[in-house]
Amino acid sequence: MKFLKLLMRNLAKGPSTDPFPFGPTFTPKGLRGRISYDASLCTMCRACEQVCAGGAIRIDKTPEGMRLVVWQNTCVLCGLCQYYCPTGAIHHTDNWHMVHLEAEKFDQVEEGLIPYVACTGCGAKMVASYPNPKTLGFQPTQEDVEKLRLLCPSCRRKAIAAMGGKS
Amino acid sequence: MSLISRISARSPWLYRINAGSCNGCDVELATTACIPRYDVERLGCQYCGSPRHADIVLITGVMTARVKDKVLQLFEEIPDPKVTVAVGICPISGGVFRESYAVCGPLDKYIPVDVNVVGCPPRPQAILEGVAKAIEIWKQRL
Amino acid sequence: MLGHYALLPAVLLFPGGLFALAFGLALKGADRRVAARLQRRVGPPLLQPFFDLVKLSQKRTMVPDIACRPVFLGAPLIGAISMLLAAALVPIAGVYQPDPMLGDLLVLLYLLAVPGVVLMVAGSASGSPFGAIGFSREMMLMLAYEGPLLVVVAAVAMKTGFAEGKMVSFSLSEIVTYQRQHGAFLFDPVMWPALLAFIAFFPANVGIVPFDIPEAETEVLEGPLLEYSGPALGLFKIMSAAKAVVVLSLGIALFFPNGPDGVLGLVVYALKMLVLTLLGVTLVRTSVARMRIDQAFVFFLKWPLLLAVVSLVVVVVFA
Repeated sequence: MKFLKLLMRNLAKGPSTDPFPFGPTFTPKGLRGRISYDASLCTMCRACEQVCAGGAIRIDKTPEGMRLVVWQNTCVLCGLCQYYCPTGAIHHTDNWHMVHLEAEKFDQVEEGLIPYVACTGCGAKMVASYPNPKTLGFQPTQEDVEKLRLLCPSCRRKAIAAMGGKS
Repeated sequence: MSLISRISARSPWLYRINAGSCNGCDVELATTACIPRYDVERLGCQYCGSPRHADIVLITGVMTARVKDKVLQLFEEIPDPKVTVAVGICPISGGVFRESYAVCGPLDKYIPVDVNVVGCPPRPQAILEGVAKAIEIWKQRL
Repeated sequence: MLGHYALLPAVLLFPGGLFALAFGLALKGADRRVAARLQRRVGPPLLQPFFDLVKLSQKRTMVPDIACRPVFLGAPLIGAISMLLAAALVPIAGVYQPDPMLGDLLVLLYLLAVPGVVLMVAGSASGSPFGAIGFSREMMLMLAYEGPLLVVVAAVAMKTGFAEGKMVSFSLSEIVTYQRQHGAFLFDPVMWPALLAFIAFFPANVGIVPFDIPEAETEVLEGPLLEYSGPALGLFKIMSAAKAVVVLSLGIALFFPNGPDGVLGLVVYALKMLVLTLLGVTLVRTSVARMRIDQAFVFFLKWPLLLAVVSLVVVVVFA
């Protein structure tokens, strides 16, 4: 007869139903949801493209710069891109309201463009990225870092050699 | 929309088709019906055992080559008017299994899909959102 | 001159026909809602079965190629009509006396067997293997539960008959009148085995867990109902709703028809049906699991049949 007691207790306690969609629901902290990409923080290391499990991240060379496109409909919410991104440019928000109609299927993208800059040494088009201080061989100052940032790889090698380190 | 259509729209019956899924989304679909936390009966829905009784079709899984003909045959058996919901990212784009030799491609190459529920697997609340959106579309088609 | 036409309102409106349908659907809605609350869910709105029926009328009926079309479409029609008609045969104490022209307890027993046969025929006519499985299981179940039902009814009829001076009285009106004068059979210890047998038989007839084997959704994909859609399926839902009303009313008329007359009597009747639904359908449905067909068969041939035969013997001995 234990189940009868259980049933009566259930009746007394009332429903334990989550009120969604007729009311608000909870979102757990750290839920991996929609991808958000910030091109201003991206160094175009392409680690996210390599580790993406669903093949959702695509990086193209366009005439204006490097473009990163994430298609949300193939993202498996694994979080690897967020884990391996050195600057936190690509990360999951906790927005899980991603239901859409079929017609909007290919609109579910996140895009970002990193424009090319001209190298201050030779004028070639390149994507500016910070050098890794550990591999320089000397302790750089802030202006050294800024100067090296705007040099293309070949000019940068020459500049590091001139500053007294190994390339 | 007439009164009859408005009344009929309060009783959509759900039917699940597993088109080669890993069962993650199927487990989530089971939770939206069975467990008290995310009760789908509130919307008037009920899972039915026969495709002939279905109104809203929930399809999970990328369409594998092995199951393609059977899923298409099953889909023909469901009477109109019906609404198709692709649950999970596999039927939308192929998910992680996209470039496999056993996968026949996203679902909308073979079946007209109406609502996409994104997630791997989607949260039960997201599935409820998808079902609610599908009910809206179904109301128009009645 | 009015003659037979006076039966039409009884058959079509109250208590057969529309009333049986509406009341059956309302009881089903209450059952679904309370079952959900017992499971700590919110549950569908109370009018949900009505919405289901309206929706089913809007879909189209698909008939399989290999099905026998006249039988496939005619079976649910016959089932629904028989149950809507049978509801006019059961008296509601103090409110409605069925016209003797309509029939007595024997006719009601025949009509109660029709939904089971209809389910069997529909299962085999649909041509699908699941229908065939449902057909064989329904047949086994019917064989099992018809026995106790007949013996219980015979016991009650004989008890009333002895009191009236004849051997057996198959008129439900007489059974109801006798109980209203001499006390309900519910409180008569002589009739308690019969009452227990009836309580055991009741879930099998109405088609709920633990005995809803032929129509089980998860086991045989709804068996005979697999190939039905649209209005034909709606007719099956009407049949099962009306059948629930008939069997519950029969239970009340056989064992506990006492109550006031008139409108208050109707209210008391409705309350009795509701309580019986909640106790006999909802509570049972949410607390036990479905039995296998062989377990159910053996169960019915053991305890309910034994109890029913014991009650028959007791009634004859303590005449």
